[in-house]
Amino acid sequence: MPDQPNVRIILAKLGLDGHDRGVKVVARGLRDAGFHVIYAGLWQPPESVVQAVADEDADWLGISLLSGAHLTIMPRVMQLLRENGLDRVGVILGGIIPEADVPKLEQMGISRVFGPGTPINEIVDFIRAQQSRV
Amino acid sequence: MRSKAVSDLAELLSRFRNGDRLALSRLLSLVSRGRQLEEIRAGIGIPEHPGRVIALTGSGGVGKSTLVGRLTELAVERNNSMAVLACDPESPLTGGALLGDRVRMTSSAEAEPPFIRSLAAASGHQAIAEHLDLMIPLLQAYGFETILLETVGAGQGDIAIRHLVDVLVLLLQPESGDDLQWEKAGLLEVADVIVVHKADLPGADNVVAQVSGEVNLAGAPEVPVLKVSAAKREGLDELWTTIQSLPSQKHKFRSGAVQLLQLAVERLSDRFHHSSEKFADVLAKWHEGELSDTEAADEVLRRL
Repeated sequence: MPDQPNVRIILAKLGLDGHDRGVKVVARGLRDAGFHVIYAGLWQPPESVVQAVADEDADWLGISLLSGAHLTIMPRVMQLLRENGLDRVGVILGGIIPEADVPKLEQMGISRVFGPGTPINEIVDFIRAQQSRV
Repeated sequence: MRSKAVSDLAELLSRFRNGDRLALSRLLSLVSRGRQLEEIRAGIGIPEHPGRVIALTGSGGVGKSTLVGRLTELAVERNNSMAVLACDPESPLTGGALLGDRVRMTSSAEAEPPFIRSLAAASGHQAIAEHLDLMIPLLQAYGFETILLETVGAGQGDIAIRHLVDVLVLLLQPESGDDLQWEKAGLLEVADVIVVHKADLPGADNVVAQVSGEVNLAGAPEVPVLKVSAAKREGLDELWTTIQSLPSQKHKFRSGAVQLLQLAVERLSDRFHHSSEKFADVLAKWHEGELSDTEAADEVLRRL
């Protein structure tokens, strides 16, 4: 652990979506896996989330969406990340996302979409595997 | 990490000197990981008018993050450029941390919003993250006028923050102890401003009276005791004026032997964490009860 810097991940909920039970469970799980989890909270506009990614120098951004707005709001997030020179930041998505939309989201550059019922270990293993592939 | 290219430090520093906020963010990461500290210290330059450093401390739940959030709003209103370093605890078991201070800081749509960095503070570091002694000059060199430091929920003895800052604000809340509480040594002795927070709750006037009586004994320096309610947005202007106008108290506290001991303890703790494998056998024996607490600790000190 000592010389291995902790993975920094920002978790946030975007737009009009007040259901934060799921994202808090994920936050706790990642914390217990040794990550530094920065919880940015509810009702965030894409601009502040991307500002947070920049100021916190995060390695990952995790967005939870249960509002159905993923195809509207995620393109904006990905565009802002690119504009701010943050392409290197990995993006994962969780919540209620219809399977048919997953390929479109992956095409936008989202690394992985985790549906309801995903065991926390799966998320941890995925991020660890990506991290080591430097 | 995900193919985070190892940026050339010289290039990073030159971007930093040109006011690149992302470069500042990367440099802070290097510093928090204890990398290239001397090169960075030498490369950032010395600001002509270093920004004022203010710390907010107090026990967990007293409203530090919320108040920091309000102060960032005031800073935006007053065109005062502000950076925040917010510390939350890191697990001694897993090394993980849940950094939740941002949640209580309202996001603003300003072109140049306050810079907010969340930091994990390891246990044994008196409620602050490591390497703040370089992070603060870094933010000053970038040009922030005010640097707010939020400690982990701090106990009575966590005074390591004192020598790093110009003004130390201690937050108390109603119903936090009887009048004997204020006679105890520690944080209360080194605070420059005392805020009785959640002042909209009953009992606030009582705390103000008790604390003022304790810290402002005849002959002692005047320590302002302010009533503030972040929820009702009361007392904020007065707090802002006070923390911006008090003379810096930093140097008064620098020479203490306690600080030196604290620095030594931090260095020891670093060495321990970076070579924990050296102590595997001591740990095992201590677990089995073959070594007493004192014997095990002495053995660790011998090997460090």
